[in-house]
Amino acid sequence: MFKPSSKKIDELDEAGRRVLRAAAASLEETEAAASSPFLYRRIRAAIRADNQKREEATGWLSLIFVARRAVPAMALITLLVAVLTVWSAFAPTTTQNSPDDEALIEGPGPGVEQTVLAGSTMSQDDVINIVVDRDYGRNGR
Amino acid sequence: MDSFAEPTDDVLVAAAVAGDEGAFEQLFERHRRQVARTGGRFFAQREQIEEIIQDSFTKAYFALHTYHGTHPASFKAWLTQIAVNCCYDQLRRMRRRPEQGLGDVEESEAHEFAAQLRSPPKDVETELVSRDLAVKLLARLSADDRLVLTLLDVEGFSVAEIADVTNWSISKVKVRAHRARAHLRRIMQRYL
Repeated sequence: MFKPSSKKIDELDEAGRRVLRAAAASLEETEAAASSPFLYRRIRAAIRADNQKREEATGWLSLIFVARRAVPAMALITLLVAVLTVWSAFAPTTTQNSPDDEALIEGPGPGVEQTVLAGSTMSQDDVINIVVDRDYGRNGR
Repeated sequence: MDSFAEPTDDVLVAAAVAGDEGAFEQLFERHRRQVARTGGRFFAQREQIEEIIQDSFTKAYFALHTYHGTHPASFKAWLTQIAVNCCYDQLRRMRRRPEQGLGDVEESEAHEFAAQLRSPPKDVETELVSRDLAVKLLARLSADDRLVLTLLDVEGFSVAEIADVTNWSISKVKVRAHRARAHLRRIMQRYL
């Protein structure tokens, strides 16, 4: 491949330097930028905005930190719930219902009448007769 | 009289860190031209230079507590380092958004540019044209290449100073400068 001579290299380097200098701002332009009105106010506004962002970031960080601390407690609660669920699934389900429970669960049957009449000497037929008679009396009125 | 003497940068920094906004404003007034000059080495548009000034002072404000000056020029050097880094960030952003840079050099511009290189521009109008072309050509360099060449050839920094400002090693600066120059030579070769 063609290799440029050292003179050519110097020329190219000098051209490169001129291009670099040409791309720079002049002293007047630099001064104009430095003296731009409200520049300090804009810097103060940028500082305030940056401060706000940092504070918000700190808020989120603290929230994450609190959440991180809550993780063990939440894990413990989850474990307890899981243990209770497993235990209740395998625990014996046969339980002794009390007479009151039966009365609530079952509909009124002969057992109820017997319970009501347990303390008297009347038979079931006597009771039915009384009921029929009352009804008869009511209908007759 | 001592009571009327201007406070040093280090005194102002200490006051600004303590929350004195006036002290920071004094630092800004004292050094804004220096920061603008650094920005102006890399960017020609006024808005871009203003952005560099704004970014540099905003970053400096939040980093003031890390500044530990040892001699009177320390703050200036510290601030220049921040400004150069802001310019580097801006160059990288421009590389990521090529639509802002500028497109390719057209045939007519190439001829014009070659003529300009052979006969230096004398009037302001020609100078502006050559700047436009220069910006287009330099957009082909990477941010690293542009940084190191501008600091060497325009700012006049030594390799050691560049290493100091960029936090690169001296050998990295040398290698980067060598490659950047070769790259710029290849670009220039098309026009000379």
